[in-house]
Order: sequence, then structure tokens, then C-alpha cells
Amino acid sequence: MKVRRRSGSIAEPTGTFRLRPASCRLGLCAVVLLTTTVAARAPAEALPLAKIPRGKVFMVIEPHHDDHTTDYGMGGLIARLIDEGYSGYYVRASNDEKDGPHGYPLDDMINLKECLAATKILGIEQVFSLNWRNDYMDPIPLQELRGQLILLIRKYRPDVVLGHDPWAHYDRNPDHRKVARALAEAFWMAGQANVHPEHLRVGLQPHRVPYLFLKARVDYGRGHWPNVAVELTESQVRRKQKAYSAHRNVYAKPSTARSVRRQLADEKLLVPEIEGLSDQAAAVLFEEWHMNWISRKRGAENGVRYAEVYWFRDEFDHLPGLTEYIDRNATQQ
Amino acid sequence: MLKLASAFLLVFLLAGSAAPQTAPGRDRVVLVITADAGDYVLAAGGAIAAMIEDGATAYLIRTTNDEKDSWELSPEETARRSSEESQQAAKILGMREVISLGYRAGELAAVSHTELRDRLMFYVRLYKPAVLFIPNPYAEYGEVLDRFYTGKAAEEAQRAAALENFQPPFSELGLAPHIVGEMYYYAQPFDPRRREPESSSTFVPQPKTVSISTVFEKKLRAAQALYTANYSLAMRIKERLDNTSRRLPLLDAVNRESVNQLVEINLRKLAQIAARDTPYELAEEFHYAGVEYQIPSSYLK
Repeated sequence: MKVRRRSGSIAEPTGTFRLRPASCRLGLCAVVLLTTTVAARAPAEALPLAKIPRGKVFMVIEPHHDDHTTDYGMGGLIARLIDEGYSGYYVRASNDEKDGPHGYPLDDMINLKECLAATKILGIEQVFSLNWRNDYMDPIPLQELRGQLILLIRKYRPDVVLGHDPWAHYDRNPDHRKVARALAEAFWMAGQANVHPEHLRVGLQPHRVPYLFLKARVDYGRGHWPNVAVELTESQVRRKQKAYSAHRNVYAKPSTARSVRRQLADEKLLVPEIEGLSDQAAAVLFEEWHMNWISRKRGAENGVRYAEVYWFRDEFDHLPGLTEYIDRNATQQ
Repeated sequence: MLKLASAFLLVFLLAGSAAPQTAPGRDRVVLVITADAGDYVLAAGGAIAAMIEDGATAYLIRTTNDEKDSWELSPEETARRSSEESQQAAKILGMREVISLGYRAGELAAVSHTELRDRLMFYVRLYKPAVLFIPNPYAEYGEVLDRFYTGKAAEEAQRAAALENFQPPFSELGLAPHIVGEMYYYAQPFDPRRREPESSSTFVPQPKTVSISTVFEKKLRAAQALYTANYSLAMRIKERLDNTSRRLPLLDAVNRESVNQLVEINLRKLAQIAARDTPYELAEEFHYAGVEYQIPSSYLK
């Protein structure tokens, strides 16, 4: 994308175009950020590229309708898992009643509908809504939420679970913290027969999840420590963009596009790609550009074209000696 | 201001009186707090064994009943066996007594933090330890949150035990306030930032590595005594291998011999990881707060 001067000359693609901070939300920032070239080079400390574990089923456990496809991860990885033959399930722990402009009950319903549409774009088979009250999850007994997750893990037996990093610092969203904590216990406790033994009465079997991919904002201090980069294809990034912008109730708002257009006009700049588009279509484009930009940025940081970064955990990572021993001595049957 | 200075002076004097207890040698009391029976053995068993060999008397407080971690055993049977094995492990390390608080494993999130803290505080005042070992609640990427809850409560118990306005009824039993001179925060070594110095050298513990080369065999035998949990781990590994069409000859027969060998492989590697970049062969890692970390440096001068 190029930012042009209204006179017709092509402006240098730099970050010198300043937008008013008060209105600089995602779409506006995207315009600025996209004018900056993302260099395709690997920094000195690129993360190792993650191998997708062998498996059949993954489960995404998050509090909100849109957590599967934030700019700091998941949509790309979900698309890649689907491409590699996995089936996916999405567990939405809250009812999302707070997110949006329409008031509690309407936002709840609209967000769920958009969640179904977005996860379908990514290839997820089913969405389970636990419907805990959005942003009021703190008083929920952790064991109760954990018990629900354990039941779903035992029923669908995921090889991979995706979620928020429970150790991340400075995440001010209480639902992220609560659900991450519950996930952090559920993924291994589901494998212990003495946890909720009543499940075994109805045919469920213990199942410990072998692999975790955890995300958090990498710009929120030191708490989150990504240890792998997941390489993505253009097609996977495209699905991630589409899934993200499907959440029209909270993203891709026409008002954002109007604000950007006003500021571009003030600066006597134009972005050819949005000329002639409706405000809604322009706002969608901004969101998609942003997702593309962050995917390229993470890719450039890690020596590939597109990427997302995660804290990856194998269930036996805390047993480094045994892992080494198994790698050396195990044979294929 | 004067009040604050007086408070610091009091802390200083009390800490000073505790100082001889912290020196190596006889009569030093060590109190170890653990969530599950194996946590402290794996992360701190060597350092504790070394202190005991050096003449210290050590007590163990185990907050959970370990009822969950087993293979094809009921919670009741798991708890019974784990309790017996916990006693054996502590005995191998040379500990004098194991106190089990009996909370259900995996359920500490529902236990009152204050209740847990005050029960731990009771034992701090009763045994008057010079050294306290606690699970590090700030260690990241640990999956067993009972360690976190126990660590937070233990950390607060250390402070509360020193202040007489916490649990006034305790004084009716003669349990006077007590300052613990040294704190060892222990955890498994998979926190990527575990060796980074903390932001300040006052009031916060700093990374410390302790050689366990001479006591490793003792630590190993203690860990091997925890057979119920170890057998469960071996079966989980075997199951995972089966699920991925792999075979590990060692686990063709899962019995005491093969399980003990798995434990040794695990423990030796953990000790080697902790010894990296140190002069030691085998080690354990801690965050450590001695007396000097509890008093501002300006007052020490």
C-alpha cells in the first residue's frame, strides 16, 4: 500500500504521517504502520520455528468471542493446524455481553453470531459457549470453570490446546487471567482419573493434553516469553485477516474509516486502496492490513515471511532428562 | 519517621539475634514447606540433606494430601500411599517430622488463603526455624498451582510470624513472634527468567545455586521413595509413547526397577541444568533471601 500526496506524488513510505492520538485506534494505526516497510531479515535472536505436533484434534480455550484471532496470535496457527489435518473446537468461556455498542443482551447475541462466522472461516467445527458473565468472572470458583474444561478435554481429547498465557504480566483483562489459570490446571488434571471421577461413569476417560500453545501480548512487559515462531503461509494469514474482520460488532467500524479519511484529508494525503470504498469496506481493509502487517513483522523478526509467536509447551518439558533419554532410546513400533 | 526508624532498628536487632542460628552447624532448625510430597524433594532435597548432614534439624509441612497423582488407584488409596511414601522420603533425607495439613490436592484454590497462611505461621512460631524453604510463587510456567498457593501463603506466613498482632491467640500458647533469618524459594528450573537478578537487593530474594554433588545419592533415594507418583509418571510416558507408536525398552516392564531408573535420569539432568555456568557438577537453584536482604543496606551500614 502506498500513501500518496493529493498532488499525485508518491510519499515516502515512512512513519512520519502523524494521526491525532485520540482517534488513533487500530485502523488508523494500521495506515501508519503499513507505510513502514517490514524488512525481510532475521534478527540475531530469532525464535526457533515450531513444528506442528502430530495429532488430530485441537481445542482453543478462551474467554471471548474474538480471542481466537487477535493481532498477537492464534488465527494463523488455527488455520495452519486445519491445513495440517486437525479438527478444531473453540471454547468461549464468557458471554461477551460487555463488548460492543448495543447493550448487554444484544451484544451477547451479536458477538456469539460473529464468533460462529469467524471460527467457521478458520475451519473450526464447533463453538462451546460456557456463558459465564463477561468481566465478572472473578467470583467464579476456579474449580468449577476448570471442571467444565476438564469435561470438554476428556470428551474431545485434543492433542493441542491453545489459550492465553497464565503467566503473562500486565494483562488488565480479568477474564483472560481467570480462563488462563483454569486452562493451566485443566490440561493436565484432565489426565488424572482421580479428578472428577464421576466423568468416568459416563464413559469419559482421562486425557492429558500433550501440547500447549500459549499467547499473550509481547508488548506487555516481560511476563510472556515466546519460545517458538509459527510460520504461516499467505493463505493462512488471509484467513486470519478475514476471521478478525468478521467481528464487525467490535472491529472494522465505519466510524474508524471516517476518522482516517478526515485526517488524511487534513494532511492532504490519500490512500488509493480506500478511494471509492464504503466506510465499512475501508474499515475492514484497515483491520486486514493490520493483521497482515503484524504477521509480516513477526515473520521478519524470525526469518520467515509470516509468523505468529507463542510459548510452546510439551507436557514433558519439565522432564528434560527423560525427554532426551526418550529421544535417544525410543524406537518406532 | 522516628517510628519507622525504630521499626527497622527492631528488625535489625531481632535479625542480629537470629544471625548465629543461620551459621552452619548444630541446633539450626530448618522448616520446609511443600505442596505435594515430591515438590521439595525434586527442587530442594539436596540442599536440605546437606544442611541436615551439617547438623540442622529439619521439619516438613506438606499442605496437600496428594490424592490425585496415581495410576489406577482410588483417591483414598493414593492419599494413603503418598502419605507413607512422603514419610519415607523425608526420613531418607534425615528430616525429623512430617506434618500433613491434609488439604485435597488440586483444590487449594478454594482454601482460604488466610487460613493456610495462619496454619503455616503456627508452625513457624512453634519450631522457630532459622531457615525456611518455600515453593517459589513467582516461578513462571509451573503447571501445578497448588505450589503457587502454598508458596504465597508460606511467604506471608514468614512475615506474619514475626509480628505479634497476627493471631493474638497464639501468644496464649506461648507461641511468640519469630523472625526467620533465611528464605529459600525453590522451583523446578523451567522458568526462563529464573536466574535474572531481581530489581533490588533489598527485601527481595536473589538467584542462588547450591552444590548437591555430595548428597545427590540421598536426594535420589528420597525421590525414588515416592513410588506412587513416579509410577504414574512412568505410565503416562508409556501411554504417550504408545499413542505415538513408539517403544522405550526401559518401559517394556514398568516396575520398581525401571521407574527408579526414570527417576534417576530425570533428577540427574535437573541437577546438571542447575549446575550450568557454575563450578558445580550437580546443583539446585533457588531464590534466596538472607538477613541482609531483609534490612535496607543503609541501615546495615
